[in-house]
Amino acid sequence: MLGTYFYHEIIRKTVVAFGTLFNDIYIKHKDDSNNVISEIRVPISYGPSQKFLSKIQQQSELSKPVQITLPRISFEMSSIQYDSTRKAGVTQTFKASDGTNLKKVFMPVPYNVGFDLNIFSKLNDDALQIIEQILPFFQPSFNLTIDLIDSIGEKRDIPVVLDNISFQDDYEGSFQTRRALIYTLRFTAKTYLFGPIADTTDGLIRKVQVDYYSDTDTQTAKREMRYTVTPDPIDAGPDDDFGFNETLETFYDSRSYSPTQQKDI
Amino acid sequence: MSLNPYFLQGSPSEQNLIQDLINEHLKIYGIEVYYIPRKFIRTDNILKEVQSSKFDDSFLIESYLNNYEGSNPGSDIMTKFGITLRKEISLTISRERFEEFISPFLEADISGEKNYSDGGSYLFSTRPKEGDLIYFPLGERLFEIKYVEFEKPFYQLGKNYTYELQCELFEYEDEEIDTDIEEIENAMSDTGYITDLKLVAFGGTAECEAIFIPYGNPFSGVNEVFIINDGYGYTEEPKVTISPPPPIPSEFDRSSLPGGIGVEVPDEAYKAKAVAITTSIGDAKSISQILITNAGYGYTEPPTITISGGGGFGAIATCGISTGIITRIQITNKGDRYYQPPEISIDSPVGVGKTATAISKIYNGRLSEVLITNAGSGYTSAPNITVSPPPSVGFGTYIISEEVVGSVSGTKAIVKSWINPGGDVDKILRVSINSGKFNEGETIVGSSSSAIYTLKSYELDTTNDDYSKNDFIEEESDEILDFSESNPFGTY
Repeated sequence: MLGTYFYHEIIRKTVVAFGTLFNDIYIKHKDDSNNVISEIRVPISYGPSQKFLSKIQQQSELSKPVQITLPRISFEMSSIQYDSTRKAGVTQTFKASDGTNLKKVFMPVPYNVGFDLNIFSKLNDDALQIIEQILPFFQPSFNLTIDLIDSIGEKRDIPVVLDNISFQDDYEGSFQTRRALIYTLRFTAKTYLFGPIADTTDGLIRKVQVDYYSDTDTQTAKREMRYTVTPDPIDAGPDDDFGFNETLETFYDSRSYSPTQQKDI
Repeated sequence: MSLNPYFLQGSPSEQNLIQDLINEHLKIYGIEVYYIPRKFIRTDNILKEVQSSKFDDSFLIESYLNNYEGSNPGSDIMTKFGITLRKEISLTISRERFEEFISPFLEADISGEKNYSDGGSYLFSTRPKEGDLIYFPLGERLFEIKYVEFEKPFYQLGKNYTYELQCELFEYEDEEIDTDIEEIENAMSDTGYITDLKLVAFGGTAECEAIFIPYGNPFSGVNEVFIINDGYGYTEEPKVTISPPPPIPSEFDRSSLPGGIGVEVPDEAYKAKAVAITTSIGDAKSISQILITNAGYGYTEPPTITISGGGGFGAIATCGISTGIITRIQITNKGDRYYQPPEISIDSPVGVGKTATAISKIYNGRLSEVLITNAGSGYTSAPNITVSPPPSVGFGTYIISEEVVGSVSGTKAIVKSWINPGGDVDKILRVSINSGKFNEGETIVGSSSSAIYTLKSYELDTTNDDYSKNDFIEEESDEILDFSESNPFGTY
């Protein structure tokens, strides 16, 4: 029943768009005279990964000299949940064009994708520098315009809402364990999932032709006048700014138009 | 007196004997490690953390490896922040050896100014400190001392003779590690937040010459294209077509034309040609400029310009014609090692007229095309064209761990490695601990080596730790995100 293959990569695109928000954050370190001695672009990566791939990519040399380089940001998708507050009629469709063909698209289904953004730093000051560069942009949401389905150019505003902030600072305890300083920001991206997109049987209307007959008996009557309308330019798309060419022709050849053969016979 | 006064519970000579035996054992059964003390550069007394540190000293000392059976099992952990190596070691060093061999050297820097340029300072020197580093040569790793156990064994003959250093692999950020020990520098050469600077040295200057229509000639060429409407919706550069000139009367003496527009030139060469350059804001792309590649010859009135293709509509342009103009610019020498298109300067006409202007394009560091923005007017002879030179400096060898400075940005960084393949190939200067962003085109000067080269481009996050995916995410999101105004989270 469900077996129509489609994959719009919408969730993947939402992951990429979410990651982009945090991929250009810098921190600075100063000396006692307030001269900047170091500026670091904080690395970010999607957290979950194939274990073997992480191992061979991040530890190609087995004798890696340090434990980890900090600070780091990682993010991961933590939930996918239907959002009934944004529900639209499920049987409604709208038409979109991929440039040449008309496509029939069912209204998308609203889903909330939850994200965790984790900030791991060695210094509290580093974490605070990062946090302060992020929080002011979320009031409490920030809108991303994502081209969810490239083939029909469907761009949607996806609000990314900052739900809560928590942090863990394990500074207590024995000296056998290190202090771990991790800030976790929880977000919800209000995205839409689209179903299969079908080519409609209706093509783009590129020509309208009306034949006038001299009698109501079209079996025997012959067309005598023809009114034709075409878009100008002829290859205009539905979203283009186009006009119309109108032509009016008069015939004296006692012929009729055959819709099946698409010519006068 | 509760203890028996006829027995000694540890005389100084007995204590010295034990200390000597321990020292001897460590020298026989131990391994050599580097003790690297931490200098404090900046401390935040509110948040109570050392925010900048430097490690620029090292002391070779013998130690006994307590966990001779290996580091803790299962210490390599997969976390949401990538691979974390939680290897631990425990080392025993001689208290006497530390106090006699290391402490006196640290003493001098205890009260130093906490200024980075002065090298920072130590808090105290009497014992090994938590936060200091141990370079363990067998695994080529840097360990940080987590805890110093000083009472194990517990007061034998009334005194302690060793320190047990409990260490875990170092969590590295941007601390400067400049020990002058080659194996430590090699181990750390790919570690940390690294920037690869692509540098270029001397290059050859390109040369051009102008083909021109002399002033007063009865036939003209296109001297400038004016955009009346920049159009909309372009996805790529549209094609620009300029209507051809009328045929030149056969009785006209073409051989009188100088500079290449001679009798042998086919009529095709007389057609003016131009290319469009588009600009975009968000998704909207329009034509910003139409540049002349050939001004043509034989026009008696301004030709028609047609702009077609490119997926857009509505662009309209007109042009003017004149004699005494440059019809095209021929590259006679492409030069080399340009990292950005050079400036083209064209001499002014003698007397009345307008100076021609042009821009250039490069491919693989060489001049590939010169496009005319204005063909000028009033030229009676071919003007001289000057192409700005490529980088004029480039010599020397950068030294590992020296500081380099960008001549314009003032950004400082510490050299990790220097690769100079020679010839036309880009040189790679690997640096870290950048104090800011470099400017492409500036010179990078070594503070100790005085080496100097020009910065062509640079790349962040080129560490062998393949965690950072900032640029991958950016590339993918460019395809799907619409930041019509600007990206508030980034500059690129």
